[in-house]
Amino acid sequence: MQEPSFFSSYDFLKDTWDEMFTNNHALREQYEIISNYLQHTSAEELSKKEELSKQLFMHQGVTFTVYNDEKGIEKIFPFDILPRIITSKEWGKIEKGIKQRITALNLFIKDIYNDQFILKDKVVPASLIYDCPYFLREMKGVAPPFDIYVHITGVDLIRNNDGEFYVLEDNLRTPSGVSYMLENREISKRIFPGILPKCNVLSVSSYPDILYKKLCECSTQDNPNVVLLTPGIYNSAYYEHTTLARLMGIELVEGSDLVVKDHVVYMKTTFGLKRVDVIYRRVDDDFLDPMEFNSNSVLGVAGIMSSYRKGNVTIVNAPGTGIADDKAVYTFVPDMIRYYLNEEPILKNIETYQLGKPEDLDYVKKNINKMVIKKTDGSGGYGMLMGHEASNEEIDNYFKVVNKNPAAYIAQPILKLSTAPCYIDGKLSPRCVDLRPFALYGPDGIDICPGGLTRVALKKGSLVVNSSQGGGSKDTWVIK
Amino acid sequence: MLSRVANNLIWMNRYMERGYSVLNLLKVNYSAHQDSPDLFPWTPIIKNYCGSESGFSSENSIECINHMVFNLDNQNSIINLVTRSRENARSVQEHIPRELWLGINSYYLYLTKPELPSKLYQEDPVVFLDRLLNHQLLYYGKIDITQERGSAYYFMDIGKFLERVIQISDLASMKLKEIAKTSDALERSFLWKNFLLSIGAYQLYLKKYKSTFQEDFIIKLIFQEQLFPKSLYYCVNKLSRHINQLIQTNELVNNDLEFLLGKLQSTIQYTTIESINEQGLTNFIASIKNDISNISLSINNVYFSNQS
Repeated sequence: MQEPSFFSSYDFLKDTWDEMFTNNHALREQYEIISNYLQHTSAEELSKKEELSKQLFMHQGVTFTVYNDEKGIEKIFPFDILPRIITSKEWGKIEKGIKQRITALNLFIKDIYNDQFILKDKVVPASLIYDCPYFLREMKGVAPPFDIYVHITGVDLIRNNDGEFYVLEDNLRTPSGVSYMLENREISKRIFPGILPKCNVLSVSSYPDILYKKLCECSTQDNPNVVLLTPGIYNSAYYEHTTLARLMGIELVEGSDLVVKDHVVYMKTTFGLKRVDVIYRRVDDDFLDPMEFNSNSVLGVAGIMSSYRKGNVTIVNAPGTGIADDKAVYTFVPDMIRYYLNEEPILKNIETYQLGKPEDLDYVKKNINKMVIKKTDGSGGYGMLMGHEASNEEIDNYFKVVNKNPAAYIAQPILKLSTAPCYIDGKLSPRCVDLRPFALYGPDGIDICPGGLTRVALKKGSLVVNSSQGGGSKDTWVIK
Repeated sequence: MLSRVANNLIWMNRYMERGYSVLNLLKVNYSAHQDSPDLFPWTPIIKNYCGSESGFSSENSIECINHMVFNLDNQNSIINLVTRSRENARSVQEHIPRELWLGINSYYLYLTKPELPSKLYQEDPVVFLDRLLNHQLLYYGKIDITQERGSAYYFMDIGKFLERVIQISDLASMKLKEIAKTSDALERSFLWKNFLLSIGAYQLYLKKYKSTFQEDFIIKLIFQEQLFPKSLYYCVNKLSRHINQLIQTNELVNNDLEFLLGKLQSTIQYTTIESINEQGLTNFIASIKNDISNISLSINNVYFSNQS
């Protein structure tokens, strides 16, 4: 068969690492089998597979609802059918690097809410912590079981043009996307029959089992009652909440299903009240307990924090972990690794400028066309300024806001995110990708599921992979 | 089981059962309207489901079907009923079989396809309604084959039979009003026949009583037939069995439920045709409706009461 046309027009991005091809446009070894498969598949067949993947997502209800004029519209998170493939060597480093990072971050959170050695030793400035909106005074002196704060994390990694993985964000609060890791794999099995075993792809399907085991282990009770707390059906990640609850066989509860009596959390069942021991909450800190945080919250449970402080319930992740997830605190993670572990960081941080420092602010202003500015407490790709694509007026306006409180902003050089081939309009085109592996921290250590969520910026030339900003996802294959 | 889950299971099935009744009624009335538009008008049906101030009024069959299937402002349109049933199903996915969720989701996706409403105007409405009815029947079939028999199943069945009793008695009162308007024996028999068809009891009636339409027989079939799943006797019996099962396992608080059910059961079972005729069928149905609404309220109270 002739080489399908969608292969010839692959339009490499300058100075960018491509996941499938080397700088000399030679195929990387890990992509050989899939490339061979593509050589023998017509564009028409691929388009059919793409259509099948969309239908599968819709029919399984892997959707989120967008409300427009009170009429709900079901949307799917765009999925690119071609997998992103990671070699075992690359994965080995990622795995080691994430374990090291999470160990240090967990120690940091414990330290901040207890002795604060790292502040006393002036490794991290105290003002940074006390100014951070994620710092919860309510957590001071609280001892979570086994000293674990960050049970579930989804570290965002990007690959720069030097081929190295860099940490973009640590996501230590309630990272989402793991259901897409599971669902994307199921779709791959359907659209590429026989290819996964040929490629020796490691399975991700045991994630719910490991998660359940870790959740049970972090309780002090025997045979604990574990529940998943969701904000409810209007939350955009509701699909993920139902999936995880279903796959673990645990109850999916809403705030109104729970009640606290004598500092013990119960759920309201048809048999009466039943004690709850572990809460995997997908509700943000602010909404967790109307008695202590946002008093208008109807998503949380009144009194849950008092129960937590008494050790009667385990909350996963612990409240207050956002302190280590702040973009200004991020700068100090390599120092934390050295301070707590006496090791050199395995995964690199992106060079970060704190606009609160006059010299950094000055440097960033001079080099704005190479910089991206972010709010320290921002997420989801909102409130960013990409210097290379903004107009002078946009930059001026942005700095007017920044100048009011420069410490609330950081800047990073715009990195060249690596590209991976995507099947778009009948052709293969390179699009920027990141990688979010999911790590689970329990009393017996950290487990990282071999794979993760590869997010892709589907707009040509875009570096923003967030689903709220036109991003999609890919299945992520880690080779044995 | 969480109380909210129990409540959602009840409502998931109530909305589906209501959808099933509405679709059957639309299909039967569409055919009857072709025969005799005066005898089988749409207005009482629309009024029953949408209230008298809905602002919608038409005797055009297709427009009426469209209003009852697709209109988002109509609380009892199929699209709204299925959407609500699906929302309930979505939040109880750990308690229902995967097949059931996939089925109800696919029904919802089918109904919300932008091109579907135009099909109603292009093709045979009976084929159109049959396709929707098939989704309903698949739903029941999936429950039958895949749902574990336990408290989730009992709560679902409570929803189904509660709604069925309400639908049958509503339909009966609606038809009785029509029947009362005419003294013509032939017209009356048409109306009775139509009533039987609407609840799916026509075939059984023929088998049992042949093609002679006598009110007493019809009343006996619809109210007192022991082995027919669309008779009030059967529905209330099932309701009582499942409620008792849940009371026995302490998953439902008795309050006055057993009393209310026992009373309703004996009213249906032991009232003779003569005494029904004596008090008037309309009054008889009104008392059943009153009882079932008390039962429904009593079940709701269990879940909305403050357990904390």
